[in-house]
Amino acid sequence: MSDDWFSSKRDEFIKWLHDENRRRGLSRAVSSYTAARDYALSCLPHLEKIRKEVRKIKEYAVEQMDELRKIASERITESHGNAYFARDANEARKIFLELVGSNKIVVKSKSLVTEEIHLNGALERNGNKIFETDLGEFIIQIRGEKPTHIINPSVHVPKEEVAKTFSKLLGREVKPDIPELVGVAREYLRDKFCKADIGITGANVVAANTGTLFIIENEGNARFVSNAPPVHICITGIEKLVPTLEDAFKVVQVLPPYATGILMSAYVSMITSPSRTADIEKTLVYGAHGPKELHVIFLDNGRSRMLRDPLMKEALYCLRCGGCMYECPAYRVLGGSFGHNYFGGIGIIWSAFTAGEDKVAAAIDACMKCGRCKEVCPLEIDVPKMIECLKSRLVEKGYLADKHRMIKENILKTGNPFGE
Amino acid sequence: MPQKVLYWKGCMSRFRTKTIADSIERLLTLLNVDYTTLGEKEGCCGSVLYRTGQTADALSVSKNTLEKISSLNIKDVVTGCPGCFRTMSQDYTNAFRSVPFKVRHISQFLFDMQGELRGHLRPIEAKVVYHDPCHLGRHMGVYEEPRALIKMIPKVDLLEFKYNRNKALCCGSGGGVRSAFPEISLEISKSTLGELPEGTDILVTACPFCKYNFVEGNNRKIKIEIVDLPELILRACGG
Ligand code: SF4
Repeated sequence: MSDDWFSSKRDEFIKWLHDENRRRGLSRAVSSYTAARDYALSCLPHLEKIRKEVRKIKEYAVEQMDELRKIASERITESHGNAYFARDANEARKIFLELVGSNKIVVKSKSLVTEEIHLNGALERNGNKIFETDLGEFIIQIRGEKPTHIINPSVHVPKEEVAKTFSKLLGREVKPDIPELVGVAREYLRDKFCKADIGITGANVVAANTGTLFIIENEGNARFVSNAPPVHICITGIEKLVPTLEDAFKVVQVLPPYATGILMSAYVSMITSPSRTADIEKTLVYGAHGPKELHVIFLDNGRSRMLRDPLMKEALYCLRCGGCMYECPAYRVLGGSFGHNYFGGIGIIWSAFTAGEDKVAAAIDACMKCGRCKEVCPLEIDVPKMIECLKSRLVEKGYLADKHRMIKENILKTGNPFGE
Repeated sequence: MPQKVLYWKGCMSRFRTKTIADSIERLLTLLNVDYTTLGEKEGCCGSVLYRTGQTADALSVSKNTLEKISSLNIKDVVTGCPGCFRTMSQDYTNAFRSVPFKVRHISQFLFDMQGELRGHLRPIEAKVVYHDPCHLGRHMGVYEEPRALIKMIPKVDLLEFKYNRNKALCCGSGGGVRSAFPEISLEISKSTLGELPEGTDILVTACPFCKYNFVEGNNRKIKIEIVDLPELILRACGG
């Protein structure tokens, strides 16, 4: 095997290590996140109990993913929505293309799953115009970059760089003043929400017993996206399903403090059906002030395979709070290069199942198995154990760094890794 | 009568951080411990192979080592390397079920001998910070023994990293990263050193890999002394 798989990742790593701008953005974010989270947790002592309950809920829910999906789909259909099941990224894109068609204006709120299935490119090639409306996603969309953190996708872009990007977009000088930068995005995106034909969102958790989608956010853009356009399409992984509304509310309490260090998010939207009214002669009409149509796509794309893999199943419990990434010593210096379509240790496992093991064959060698992620994870997911297991599988496939092979040969020959 | 002890040096202390092995041997002698080493025949515990996913080789190497130690009929093994400590304690037990000897890290061993040790300790006037090695702390749950030993030294002022014990930051050398991507290890070492509290004189770790990597990363203007725990204890004993 040639060593391209290794050397190309190494080059990417080195670029990150030496990129002062990205490193500065990242380290500012890390210190404000950790301080905020520590404070939030100190204000919410009862969360210790709830996060343990959430672990139990997830342990149970992932075993029933299929069943929960069927229940949720029935509920959604009953309340005049449409539910779909996509086995893989390809099927998901097909469903989207049929629903969206061409020449449409699409607004999106942040969704990792749409990254996972490479949705934007597919929609654009069909002649649609897409606007990312989450500020971080918006910044990297106009910069033509990839997200580098699951909660804060533009975590690597410091304000000075954002100012440059916005200046170019508007053709006038924008100062690197954070409130002013936020104002620019607000002004630019405001009318896009109302002009859009379709709004696309993800979901943070889905209650199967009512078919209710929960969308947690702070900016208020997901509300616009899921409410202003006449059609709302939501795509979510099947591992996001929990049995009941009550379970979902527990997840909703755990996410904000761990994700962004706040006690509760500014907005939690619960969406169960298209907008409706029967105020005139008790005649039911869909599409009052909100969308006429609601489409929910449940995505598998490797998740059932994860469930059937006893050593990797635990990864399905991940709430995508992103907390472990900020706390990961490797992520702190490597940022978005430490992973593939998902980041950090848990992201390596997720990338392996959703994009392919070979995609993380080299990235995994930057994990020190220090175990810090497990300590800070609200669900105590044993990421290092899964990493060691995946690494061992990769080695069996021949993905072994030259240096590691040399160490082995030295040990076998001389009894020590130095060959002395 | 106390049992004979095997001092397992580990490859780093045999070849790279030899002063750690020397310090441990001198401490064992000072405390009149009846110990032996495997010398040239020590070989490899298998840790680096386990951590780099070379599981089949790890198993055969560690089986060999397990048999070698078992044949000595020694029940009490002590090591200064948290990597060896974890591998022999956890990985061996997982792979081979029964392990006919008990392994302690040197910090536990010295802690257990504090009665004998205490009288030898002379003051060291310094602000000392203890770094929790990942293999010793998070993976094996040994957080307090090293701290207790440091505090036993008169006049030492023990400070803490903001993130310590189970939240301690990594030195950057674990899991085969130092060999695969030395640049990354160095950056992480620097960034962890950057978290040291103001006024630190000595950074104490309890792992040859951490010591080695911190020394590499220590290029700050005001240099901080980096020592391993047995080195500090030996110094307090006048060695
Ligand atoms: S592994 Fe745990 S800490 Fe990391 S993103 Fe998932 S839930 Fe959050």
